[in-house]
Amino acid sequence: MGEARVHISGFRMDFGDTTVVRDLSFDVHAGETFGFLGSNGSGKTTTIRALLGIYEPTAGILHINGRDFKPEHGDRLGYLPEERGLYKKEKVIDIMTYFGRLKGMERRTAKRWSLEYLDRVALADRASAVLDKLSSGQQQKVQLGVTIMNNPELLILDEPTKGFDPVNRRLLMDIIEEQKLAGATVIMVTHQMEEVERLCDRVILLKDGTAEAYGTIDEVQNKYGGRIIRIRHTGPIPRSPHYEVMLEETNYSELSITDATDEAVILKDLVDAGVTVRSFTTTKISLEDIFIRVYGDQNKPSVSGTAGAAGSAGPGQSRPRGGV
Amino acid sequence: MAQHNLGTVVSFEFIRTVTKRRFWIGTLSVPIIIAVVFGLIFLSNSTTDTAAAAQKSAQFSISYTDASGLITAKDAALFGATSAVSPDAGIQAVQSGTVDAYFDYPAHPETTAVRVHGADKGIFENGKYAAVAQAMLTHAVEQRIGSPQLSALAAGKVQVETVTYDGTKESGGLGSVIPPLFFLVIFYGLIVLLAGQMLNSTLEEKENRVTEMILTTLKPRTLIAGKVIALFGIGLVQMLVFLSPVVIGRLFFPEALSLTALDLPPLILDPFRMTVGLLVLVGGFALFTTTLVAIGAVMPTAKEAGNFMGVMMALIFVPFYAVALVVSDPQSLIVQIFTYFPFSAPVTALLRNGFGSLSPLEAGIVIVILFVGAAVMLRLAVRLFQYGSISYTSKVNIRTALRAGSRHPAAEKPPDDNGPLKTDS
Repeated sequence: MGEARVHISGFRMDFGDTTVVRDLSFDVHAGETFGFLGSNGSGKTTTIRALLGIYEPTAGILHINGRDFKPEHGDRLGYLPEERGLYKKEKVIDIMTYFGRLKGMERRTAKRWSLEYLDRVALADRASAVLDKLSSGQQQKVQLGVTIMNNPELLILDEPTKGFDPVNRRLLMDIIEEQKLAGATVIMVTHQMEEVERLCDRVILLKDGTAEAYGTIDEVQNKYGGRIIRIRHTGPIPRSPHYEVMLEETNYSELSITDATDEAVILKDLVDAGVTVRSFTTTKISLEDIFIRVYGDQNKPSVSGTAGAAGSAGPGQSRPRGGV
Repeated sequence: MAQHNLGTVVSFEFIRTVTKRRFWIGTLSVPIIIAVVFGLIFLSNSTTDTAAAAQKSAQFSISYTDASGLITAKDAALFGATSAVSPDAGIQAVQSGTVDAYFDYPAHPETTAVRVHGADKGIFENGKYAAVAQAMLTHAVEQRIGSPQLSALAAGKVQVETVTYDGTKESGGLGSVIPPLFFLVIFYGLIVLLAGQMLNSTLEEKENRVTEMILTTLKPRTLIAGKVIALFGIGLVQMLVFLSPVVIGRLFFPEALSLTALDLPPLILDPFRMTVGLLVLVGGFALFTTTLVAIGAVMPTAKEAGNFMGVMMALIFVPFYAVALVVSDPQSLIVQIFTYFPFSAPVTALLRNGFGSLSPLEAGIVIVILFVGAAVMLRLAVRLFQYGSISYTSKVNIRTALRAGSRHPAAEKPPDDNGPLKTDS
């Protein structure tokens, strides 16, 4: 494990009478890809803004490379904020060169790097175009280029795929992989659990301004009870102390069980209760399942322990389906 | 200590403005309009002189009747005029084309108009009839007085030269008024052309959502200072462009710049008034720049900010409602208020400075007000930008922003709008 690139300890953020983040502590190690997860309003963006010196924290220590972040230290920082945009009335090459210079690059170097990047993303012929003459997808590519200028050692991406089309999403993922390979530390603030599972070494789940879970993905999965049983069936799922009903639709349900629970007992309970089981698959609990378990109660009533809550949606429409 | 990235911001903001076509269209339009207006005046004066000269030597047939008895046959003969039998006959002669003009001199030309009837030669050339009718009568009266000197005096052709003194020193008169008033013209030109850019300079980051990325590379104070310095540079370029016709004229057309064609005296550059004018111009420009930047930091969109720009523009025209008092009674209450109220001070002080009614003490006070006001507004602009730059959809609560001077400022709303930005410490 590398040294802490980012160290946050006892961070608290109040806005008037509202406490948005309370006593938050975590480290992000050099070279790792870190997932910063949480529902809307859980304090993710506030934490990032405080870390970057945009907000003044109410209390706590927020360090990058062992010290408070100041703009003078921002040469090797790549930040893609949630609210993003560039100077729409300026030429693409001028914008990129400007940001390169703000990040400490020489004008000539910044310009050369920008042209190479634009060539890579098939925008070389648009270098002298005014930004708002570019399509939305092209503008996203420029934004990405600005973010990764000057070989960042710390890349902070707040909702990086928000608003991105599939092509640019792919490009973004490639860039994250490249930066990771080049030794960059990456912090991803996101709702996209598949991307987190694929890219992140460790995660933190923020809920109501505090850390709900923190660790490697395995550690977090283990904390939330290990396994999910996905069932295609006919007939209502009975209540049982052996499992928790996470999702129940007309012919498809998901049950959460602990690692110690024997699947055979569950299957027997179902059959004994008159349920016709057509498929029965056990998988490790996904981050998305955990996310829904942690934050689901904020948005809708829990289906846990509710009998006969048959939905109209077909199986798999809400969740990835398990195989037979 | 130099501010991190200040030079980069200044050069970016400056270059991206002066390389835009619309900047040069706006900037060059001012000297072009001035040149066109001066050209038209010059041309008009030349045309008038030429026309007058032509009318003096105009040759056309004239008949006349004279009820006053002032014009003798000898006087008339000098102009080639012949006596008509009656007014009706004279008019008929014109209508039939027998003569070009008929002049009907009344019994009392000092109170009754001389009627001139002439063949239509076009609106400009028709003026020759009246000129000759006038000349005939003047000549006849001069002959009766018998003295050209008395005639001239009776006609009011008296030249008066006024010399005024400022202490023991001769003051410059109108020639010394015009140069300091150039600063007023430049002030208007700069504000009218740059106000929109001043207002939008901070709004642009907000509207385009660039703020957060920018603020990881420089401090809000650096960004604002860079923009204000760049605006000064842009203003300087515009000032030079505005003055370029005068400089070019002075270098290459010194005769024309004596302004005799405009009936103006030679210009006198009073060092004190020119210095005061320059300082008031710079101070006023600084105050308006920082104020408009501060307004831009508060408003979420250019549309909403536009309402405030109207108010600012009105403030630079308000002193003209009292311009008569500014000139004739500079110590009146309203002029004093306009002189010291920061946003009407530049125009009022520049007017008074031009007309020589701004004392050194008053000038000093106004200059201090403008520069201190600009410094205060710059601080305020930075503070408001710190609070408002990521307030993307709502106006900044100014009271909250001003109250937050401590390390733990309290905002009224949670982010993503209106969070307290870190102050420059």
